[in-house]
Amino acid sequence: MRALLLLLLLPALSFAQNDMWADDDWDDEEATRSWNGFFEGAFGTRLNDDPLVQNRNTLEDLRWRLESKWQPGKTTISLKADAGYDGIEDDWILDARDLSIAFTVGGEVDFRIGRQVQTWGTGDLVFLNDLFPKDFVSFFAGRDDEYLKAPSDSIRITRYSPVVGIDLSWTPVFEPDVYLTGERFSFFSPLAGGNVAPNPPLSAAEPEHSFSNGEVALRLFRTINGREFAFYAFRGFFKQPTFAPLSSIGASLRQPLGQGLFNAEFVYYDSRDDDNGTDPMLPNDQLRFLLGYEWEALPRFTIGLQYYLETTLDYAALLDNAPQPQYAPDEHRHLLTNRLTYRAGRDRFTWSLFTFYSPSDHDGYVRPVFTYRHSDTWSVTAGANLFAGRDEHTFFNQLQDASNAYVRVRYNY
Amino acid sequence: MRYTLVSMLTAIALTQGAGAETLDNADEIVARANLAAYYAGADGRSEVRMIISDAQGREQRRQFTVLRRDLDDAGDQSFLVVFSQPSDVRDTVFLVDKHVTREDDRWLYLPGLDLVKRISAGDKRTSFVGAHYFYEDVSGRRPAEDTHELVETSTDFYVLKHVPLDPRSVEFTSYVTWIDRSSFLPMKIDYTNAAGDVYRRVEVIEVIDVEGHPTVTASRVSDLQTGGRTDMQFRNIAYDLGIPADVFTERSLRNPPREWLQRPASR
Repeated sequence: MRALLLLLLLPALSFAQNDMWADDDWDDEEATRSWNGFFEGAFGTRLNDDPLVQNRNTLEDLRWRLESKWQPGKTTISLKADAGYDGIEDDWILDARDLSIAFTVGGEVDFRIGRQVQTWGTGDLVFLNDLFPKDFVSFFAGRDDEYLKAPSDSIRITRYSPVVGIDLSWTPVFEPDVYLTGERFSFFSPLAGGNVAPNPPLSAAEPEHSFSNGEVALRLFRTINGREFAFYAFRGFFKQPTFAPLSSIGASLRQPLGQGLFNAEFVYYDSRDDDNGTDPMLPNDQLRFLLGYEWEALPRFTIGLQYYLETTLDYAALLDNAPQPQYAPDEHRHLLTNRLTYRAGRDRFTWSLFTFYSPSDHDGYVRPVFTYRHSDTWSVTAGANLFAGRDEHTFFNQLQDASNAYVRVRYNY
Repeated sequence: MRYTLVSMLTAIALTQGAGAETLDNADEIVARANLAAYYAGADGRSEVRMIISDAQGREQRRQFTVLRRDLDDAGDQSFLVVFSQPSDVRDTVFLVDKHVTREDDRWLYLPGLDLVKRISAGDKRTSFVGAHYFYEDVSGRRPAEDTHELVETSTDFYVLKHVPLDPRSVEFTSYVTWIDRSSFLPMKIDYTNAAGDVYRRVEVIEVIDVEGHPTVTASRVSDLQTGGRTDMQFRNIAYDLGIPADVFTERSLRNPPREWLQRPASR
């Protein structure tokens, strides 16, 4: 309760910056330290019961976000932290999304050290070369999109150059995805032959926390006449159980095409401990391809289309060794996505519909989201996460009973 | 440095000599207006704030700092826009590579996701962060995209009518500009739609001299159909700071260049 009181009191203290249009108020910008953030209440509930999960609700968050930047000399120290209470997990929220120090060495090489969120690649909610941790539980539960990207404790070193930019990220201690554990959403288990929601929740053994198990991600990038080329490499682990050793290599292109934007990306996943694909407990090698096109079809109405292909290599070996070949992934998993966005009323209203559909898995996931920005301080978001499919073991359809609707109210300060 | 010198000389020539003669070539007037409105100095910085109002009087506010660098006068240029207010767009950064011979390249950095998002060329007549300004208004419309006709020369203004070469790429059928005869700044622009109605107006409210360049410090865009409008104010303007080209790259999206964003010492 004390935290709740704190949450209720804080807006009163929240740094009255609303009067920025007053004529003498331009000085605000010169402050070397700033305090910002939001308070948010979020509630979501299942559309149908999940017989395996007692709680019908899927989202009960009270959250206070504090963001600050402190810039002594040429360094920048940034903080982005959440505190609050998660009613579903019945636990306090105390997360730093950003707690890092950034500085430049020799005028050319940028360092950022500490907890941070990292993103690269060209996909829209589809990730190939981006092997930074993701929080799928937040994503499926209807938290803000930013929570899909989970933070990691990393050292990021970037050297920008017109010839070729080099971006290196070292995460000394492996940081997994936030994956389905059965606590909020049940998931399919091939061993059980159906969905399970273990109690206590699934907690898979992670790679030993040693420097030799650190993760290294590399990006080389260059833009030529508006065409963005990038080359990627990664050495670490699959981000979800069983956290098998993974190396990857890939490339991407993004460029204007007609009135829109075209992107293409591919990656080769080398499952290092399962080179022949014979170990049924480990993922096989894979090739993944992505093609995308996005354009503004009407004023303020944007359409984004993506085609994604996941090809499992050594497929015969996989089938030969799988204890339950009926649950094995298809050799070629096809996925189509479609994002429709419409903004109105000076961007106060945003309607968005994101659809995943897999013709090979016969399943899909639909995300309608409506945001009403009442003012620069208050906003309301309402949406749903709808899963459907034919077979119970496929990626989206295992979440059929997780289909939910949610609403979030946010006060920005 | 050659660019700096050339553009400074051009600017001085424009501001001092222009009032004396009367031009009658529409393309030349447009070329000078383009220089006056978008190419003052070899580079520049300004703090900007906007009030976006709808017909019901509801307001949204935005505050940001703009950096600009010209590759050539009337040629390619780059813009970097770093938002500071309100808090939900704080640290969002917008980068434009403006090209004379092809569509501009635009990127938006969303700090919450560490995401560098590209904005397609088709979005150029789309609202800039909810304002009545368009993405294209931030960096300027290429003169070569329209035909220009001088319709009137008054004591104070050249009045020109402009018709788009590709009408399908824009929401207007024509627009009329009132260009100040001495500063060559477009002081008013009226956009006409297919029904023949003036539905959108851009007005300059205040101009002051900054380092020899007549500079807009207050302007307004009105949506004459809905009654909404966006007011803009510009402060702490400076030109010819020597901003290097590498400030206008992906690097500045993730690490906004503090050295150039901070206010210049009074000169």
